[in-house]
Amino acid sequence: MDAHQRDLYLYERLNARVLGVSMDDVSTIKFFAKELWLEFPLLANTLAWMGASYGAYADKPPFAPDGSPLRFGRRTVVIDSKGIVRYIKNGSPDNREILAFLVQLEKEVLKK
Amino acid sequence: MRAITPLILIGFFLGSCATLTPEKPSALVPTDRGTVVYKDKYEFARPSPGWFLLQALEGGDFELGFMRIEKGEFPSQTTFIYDDEPFGSSRELDKRSEQYCTRFLFNSGMFPQIRKKEKIQLMGQSAVALYLEGENPNRNEKAKSKIYLVPKGERIISFVCTQWRPFQESFDPEPFEHFERFVRSFKFLKPDFYEELKDKVKKLKG
Repeated sequence: MDAHQRDLYLYERLNARVLGVSMDDVSTIKFFAKELWLEFPLLANTLAWMGASYGAYADKPPFAPDGSPLRFGRRTVVIDSKGIVRYIKNGSPDNREILAFLVQLEKEVLKK
Repeated sequence: MRAITPLILIGFFLGSCATLTPEKPSALVPTDRGTVVYKDKYEFARPSPGWFLLQALEGGDFELGFMRIEKGEFPSQTTFIYDDEPFGSSRELDKRSEQYCTRFLFNSGMFPQIRKKEKIQLMGQSAVALYLEGENPNRNEKAKSKIYLVPKGERIISFVCTQWRPFQESFDPEPFEHFERFVRSFKFLKPDFYEELKDKVKKLKG
């Protein structure tokens, strides 16, 4: 998150926007955003439908008694302006890889 | 039992073969100026023998650095690093200093305090030097750090030296002298990722 905030000006130059999604509640996320000085939106998706839609459900504990995950696994997804998922990466985000990919996307847009 | 014995022997055989493979070339290439070049990216004065090179092999918290184990009980050691993505996100030096200090050594439980903060000139830029100290008697350790935050292009980079000592021991200024030589000699040999990206975006946008 720190790295995304650091690169926010570059995302903007490349016409990209960042949205963080978490299963935590709003007050937890507010605290988190304040602690890290985050200026991009964070979504409290406590019912997990969004994370589930993008395949971010954790496959490791902690799980709730009914077996459903209590958190999302770390996953970075880049969606293009048509709503098509163009990039997926699990684990820690690789910001340089994301930025290089956004340059490619921007080239595609400018060619059209 | 007979079936297991040959497998163990093969293990030893392969183990001894491994010692015969050629040693990997050092990441530090000496120059005729008495400095070393690291991965064709940076040039600097190498600290004296006894300092071990620290490298981030994939991602990680820093770009490169050195570490020395010193006399005395654990933890008696000093590390210094060049980090091209220091904690925090602001591109404004004072704000970044504030952000940096809230995250630095966060996991150590020391809550390092700023002893001094000064504006300096480094690498031809207006930079900030931070002097921090923290202690954790429960873990019998304390640390003293000197941090330089320096603007580079549109971003901020850092040089960080941290000395660890047992709680009752005193700090030693000598390792910080090696850090100073490292920092004062440090040169960038080619544009970094963000400088190249800036050019690419500029060309893209015409």
